[in-house]
Amino acid sequence: MNIRKLVWLEFRQHKSQLISGLLAITLGIAVIVGIRSISVVSEKAVAVNLDNLGANILVLPQASNVDNYYAADIDAPTMPEEYVDRIVSSNLQGVDNLSPKLTRRTMIGNENVVLTGILPKNEVTSKPLWQQSGILGNELKASCAPDNAANKSNGFEDEKLQRKSIDSLGTNECLVGSVIATKLKLAEGNPVDILGEKFTVGRVLNETGTIDDDRIFIHLHKAQEILKIPGQVSAIEIMGCCNAISDGLLSKLRNVLPDTRVTTIGQIVATQIQTNKMMNKVSLIFLIIIIFVGGISIGNFMWANINERHKEIGMFRMIGFNKSIIYQMILAKALVLGILGGIIGYILGTLSGMWLGPELAGLPVNPIPMLVLVSLSISIGVSLIGSIIPAYLAGRIEPFNIMQED
Amino acid sequence: MILKTNNLCKKYQHEDGQVNALNNVSFEVNKGDFVTITGASGSGKTTLLLTLAGLIKSTSGQVQINGFDVISASDRKLSEFRKDHIGFVMQSFALIPYLTAIENVMLPLTLSKLSKDQKYKKAFNMLQLVDLENRKNHLPKELSAGQQQRVAIARALVNSPTLILADEPTGNLDPGLSSDILHLLKKINQQENITILMVTHSPLAAEFGNRKINLINGEIN
Ligand SMILES: Nc1ncnc2c1ncn2[C@@H]1O[C@H](COP(=O)(O)OP(=O)(O)OP(=O)(O)O)[C@@H](O)[C@H]1O
Ligand SMILES: [Mg+2]
Repeated sequence: MNIRKLVWLEFRQHKSQLISGLLAITLGIAVIVGIRSISVVSEKAVAVNLDNLGANILVLPQASNVDNYYAADIDAPTMPEEYVDRIVSSNLQGVDNLSPKLTRRTMIGNENVVLTGILPKNEVTSKPLWQQSGILGNELKASCAPDNAANKSNGFEDEKLQRKSIDSLGTNECLVGSVIATKLKLAEGNPVDILGEKFTVGRVLNETGTIDDDRIFIHLHKAQEILKIPGQVSAIEIMGCCNAISDGLLSKLRNVLPDTRVTTIGQIVATQIQTNKMMNKVSLIFLIIIIFVGGISIGNFMWANINERHKEIGMFRMIGFNKSIIYQMILAKALVLGILGGIIGYILGTLSGMWLGPELAGLPVNPIPMLVLVSLSISIGVSLIGSIIPAYLAGRIEPFNIMQED
Repeated sequence: MILKTNNLCKKYQHEDGQVNALNNVSFEVNKGDFVTITGASGSGKTTLLLTLAGLIKSTSGQVQINGFDVISASDRKLSEFRKDHIGFVMQSFALIPYLTAIENVMLPLTLSKLSKDQKYKKAFNMLQLVDLENRKNHLPKELSAGQQQRVAIARALVNSPTLILADEPTGNLDPGLSSDILHLLKKINQQENITILMVTHSPLAAEFGNRKINLINGEIN
């Protein structure tokens, strides 16, 4: 028999009452963990989107919008490729990279693929006009774009960036996204028939978890030719540097290209970012709520428990437990409650995140082991704080009561 | 001499007026004494025991047990003193409901530095002394009243106290069981040479001691 065992035996004795004491804190932790595990994937999704674009400014035809661009519908609006030159010749500051694209959904065999025409780097850099203006397109980093390290820390390899710095692309060469490659059973060097034209697979891209996996990239001009949309592009992606953007780069671009729609990544992923912000706010609100409600409910539970054990605690005092040992016993119990609340809350939250994540964020949610520690520290902290007053009052129980009771 | 009180006074403050529960109580107890304390209801018997153990602060006067000054000691010192020197037996047994007989007996050893086995062994010996070793794994509710009181006595003994303070230990028991318990206390007193102060209402029980203190309105008569 030692204090730990004594606390444990008492704890076991009253385990049926635990549920009420733990309910608030467990649910609170569960909500925080649930929200967090969903918003983590959602934040990753933002990073993926950023990366997917590889640019932070998107120039689209006036009648178009970002959804059109991604959906790549048959009749999605286009604009002249010549706009690229207009941007270049306008000598705007802070435009680091230009990448015109033509995107259309089409069928290869029985598979729905997104055919994307791009300009390989060698052609971009070889344009004399572009060289003059110092826009080389080599550097794929705008000052505020996520750098590779940031991408890596989010679990993304550089594959998507590689796509944008594709050095050369033969007219009948194509690069195939990993999902499409699997579906069509394509490997490097295989022939593939796109809209009646023969192509060779130059490379199968690594899986990115983005829409890129469903894409086949070919040379822009070849795409214009086989899609019969000569001289047109669906979008121009631009790496704009942040300072320039805040200095009004967007409106300058709009002046240069009045009949286009110029959006920033900010606007494109704004909804997602906003959702994440909201989720984080909700977590914060819940954190405050569990600190109050959880703390009060645990405190209340402890208080009831101590009242019920008045006689017992008086007994402990009588046989020589001093006040600090009584405090320790109460706080040890609070610790056990906190651990239980943290672990159960984590499990519930993770399960509900995994269950709801695909519906809410449209992404699979994985357990985040780190959150166990967060849950535990919140839960234990709240439980201990909530138990301070009951512990103090327990220490004040005078043993003589029990000699006079019944 | 193991216990000495000098002009011990306890006044309870109450909204209906002050109660002089103990009034200049002075007495001495020698090692090995079995003192019985009698007196009418409300005469201050329980108050006296509690004050002796430092569980109630006296209003004035001195209490010394084994040379330890109970009145001026801090909570920590007093707790330690009770742990090492005093065993309590109460009318209502005060066993912990979720602990088995042997766990209840071990309770006062919780804070001691003995090993798990030593604690168990000591508690087992005490259960043997009160003839309950075959009930060691019973919960209090699985024991008869007399058995519960014997467990309580074993618990009072387990820390080898200098002094046992018993407040009507047979108050809740029928005459047959009462006599068992009294004989047990007597045996402990004689075999282990442990000093006992026992409060009782029963004149019969009062005869078990070798000394009597009678309280009337908080004064020794
Ligand atoms: N907490 C208290 N506040 C005020 N008065 C009290 C308190 N406790 C006891 N008293 C009074 O002190 C007196 C002595 O009480 P005590 O419990 O010591 O009597 P007792 O001799 O043990 O009685 P009994 O034989 O009924 O147990 C009583 O008159 C009682 O009313
Ligand atoms: Mg009494």
